[in-house]
Amino acid sequence: MTDIQVIKARKILTMDRAVPDATHVAIKDGRILAVGDASCAEQWGSFTIDDSLSEAVLLPGFVEGHAHLMAGSIWDHSYVGYHDRTDPQGTFWPGISSTDEVVKRLKGVADHAPDGAPVFGWGFDPIFFSSERLSRKHLDMVSPDRPVAVLFSNFHLMCANSAALELAGYSEDTLAEGVVKGEDGAPTGELQEMAAMFPVLRRINIDFRSLSQSEAALESYAKTAVRAGVTTITDLLSMMQDEDLDQMLSVTGRHEYPLRLVPAIAASGNPAQIAERALNLRGKSTDKLRLGAVKVMTDGSIQGWTARVRWPGYVGGQPNGLWNTAPDEIFAIADELHSRGVQMHIHVNGDEAAEVCLDALEAAARQSPWPAARHVLQHCQMMDRALYRRAAELGVACNVFANHIWYFGDQHAAFTIGLDRARRMDAVRTAIDEGVSCAIHSDAPVTPLGPLFTAWCAVNRQTMSGITLGEAECITVAEALELITLGAARTLKLDSEIGSISPGKRADFAIIGDDPFAVDKTQLKDIPVLGTVFGGQINLI
Amino acid sequence: MNPLPLSVIGGYLGAGKTTLINRLLAGDHGLRLTILVNDFGAINIDSALLQSVSEDTIELTNGCVCCTLSGDLFYAVGDVLERPVRPDHLLIEASGIADPAKIANVALTEKDLRYSGILTVIDGLNFAQHMADTRIAPQLLAQVHCADMIAVSKTDQHDVELTRTLEEICITSWLNADDIGALSRILFEPELPRELSASRPTTHPRYVTWSSNCPEPFTERELRSLIASTPPGILRLKAVIPNAAGGYFEVHVVGKIRQITRRSDAATLGVIAIGLESALKVQAVDEWWNSTG
Repeated sequence: MTDIQVIKARKILTMDRAVPDATHVAIKDGRILAVGDASCAEQWGSFTIDDSLSEAVLLPGFVEGHAHLMAGSIWDHSYVGYHDRTDPQGTFWPGISSTDEVVKRLKGVADHAPDGAPVFGWGFDPIFFSSERLSRKHLDMVSPDRPVAVLFSNFHLMCANSAALELAGYSEDTLAEGVVKGEDGAPTGELQEMAAMFPVLRRINIDFRSLSQSEAALESYAKTAVRAGVTTITDLLSMMQDEDLDQMLSVTGRHEYPLRLVPAIAASGNPAQIAERALNLRGKSTDKLRLGAVKVMTDGSIQGWTARVRWPGYVGGQPNGLWNTAPDEIFAIADELHSRGVQMHIHVNGDEAAEVCLDALEAAARQSPWPAARHVLQHCQMMDRALYRRAAELGVACNVFANHIWYFGDQHAAFTIGLDRARRMDAVRTAIDEGVSCAIHSDAPVTPLGPLFTAWCAVNRQTMSGITLGEAECITVAEALELITLGAARTLKLDSEIGSISPGKRADFAIIGDDPFAVDKTQLKDIPVLGTVFGGQINLI
Repeated sequence: MNPLPLSVIGGYLGAGKTTLINRLLAGDHGLRLTILVNDFGAINIDSALLQSVSEDTIELTNGCVCCTLSGDLFYAVGDVLERPVRPDHLLIEASGIADPAKIANVALTEKDLRYSGILTVIDGLNFAQHMADTRIAPQLLAQVHCADMIAVSKTDQHDVELTRTLEEICITSWLNADDIGALSRILFEPELPRELSASRPTTHPRYVTWSSNCPEPFTERELRSLIASTPPGILRLKAVIPNAAGGYFEVHVVGKIRQITRRSDAATLGVIAIGLESALKVQAVDEWWNSTG
């Protein structure tokens, strides 16, 4: 009997310059023992060769540095978005490009649902097409008697049918902001913002918290990850309560659970309490559940005009965005968490938010030296060269929202910040050149989980309309592959364990169908993902 | 079940929201309060002031739903509504930068809740300085403008600079944040049987109360038109009155918000209005109420 297993592949791209290409990787106890050719394990004794992946290409397991647990469980409900997507079970959902198609898809769901059960659609994005505005009347065609609601992709709007409105008690007498009325004085079905959406959500049992915190959600997340070649993933605003910890430990602790989860808890309470809780959680980490980081919200989103942007602001003259955490609070949190040795992931979309956070991190660094803090700015969408240089000087890592270029790039050029600044959005080239430790991300479920797609975005910077938005910020395929593996691992301080196929590291691989260097760079996103190897265990989809 | 009254306490960091809530908790209103805290502060809600299992505080986090994918504040409100024993009043301490109106709006959309006011606390020492910070001033202004009542903390005299800053943003009347009696009076719903049976009106240096206990039946149309033209200075009004078409109306006016609901039964009929002594003229209320005769 031997406990050394050697996986043979068509090609292994290691991201380790000592042995950049290989065909065999030897695994022992879930870790990489050796890498090279068929003889790589010979010095270690007898071994068995597994050639089930001999036609596939292996890369280090992809690391998603910014995603949310909801990305899996949201698929419990019906997708009605514009883009084609695939659910955790592998079912393909073609994109929807008219109101009629929404009705047709949801009617199909309603026809097979138990009597009276609500129908909930998500991801609706009418910005991309020009049919009639979705209203109660359309959704009444889905079902006149069961509640039907459709959540828009921006999470700020929802549309409900008459039955759902009635459940919430909405009528012509309702006088509340966000419950939109038509010319006849009756609610149109459109509900704006959480206060107006909540009475319906509550009555059709849609709880965002359980979508982000349940055994089923953890299972769906893992399935979603395997399909994307991801072996380590964040949950970058975890609302986990103490009672949730045992469940997370138990689910991730199962031998067959193929994912390493890195939650960052929401910064709630005063800074000392946040630090206390993070340090306490850190002590409970296991190999597959890495705790101890904190997520700090600062501004909103650019496409919602709620990001805090510097002069000259938004091209439409919209007021500057909103802070979710005031600059004074950001300073106080940064100071305390930095001094207590707690790593922060800080949401910054607008450039003013990025600047304030760098100021806060610099002030914190002056108070308490911690060169290895490696705090991470998340999204970084409007950071320019000077801000990236400051980040590099401060040792602050940047995880850039590369997928935005494809999904929202045209909108940014036309409606939010204008073509000139849109061309330097998500400026990965500049970040790398300035020496920033960086990564790229999907923010799933905001955009789909898929590191190869994210890499394609950073390499090609193509928008939905087909233009290349800011050619000067394109990066090479080699750079992009590093960002979705080692780069993201660095932002999680896990680069000594994962991110490359190097002896001593965890045997976590992405199994893909083709060599990314052998296909045209515009085809990077089309390379099929076949599954993952996690701790030496093969998981094919 | 009766709707649960919800009030939101807004105001910037350090304005004194938590101190004010602790004092409200310690007050002799006899209400069981639940407090949702969406803020971080140097002071915590004093758990020693929580008197029963149905009185508690729940801490939440900031951020809009698209960026946090959570909406946990709203779900926490939902949890309180699902409890077998609801509190008498729900207070939400908004975060230092939050727009209290976006939170309080749920009291207008959710039929199991009743809007019970936005109180914004202004830091009497630092407000002028905060308003000079262009990064945060627009959000502070929104906090002030959505408020049904302003409470000024940390100063017991009228500071000239503060008064000028407040006048510049059209705020001319406010209460002292230490005046817990007056603030409770405005935040919490008046209890009709007790109020109306009082042998003489309660007196307080800062607010006045007007009441009437023999209301005539109204048609809905009459009532709506009457309530649409309340005299200036009414901070809160509550009425339970007969519906000419049968049953009763319950009316709540809090600041600019007017809510009229129909109900089938009523133990005590009457109407009560509360306002600042400086702003509410009792005679004007009397004339207004009797104008439909």
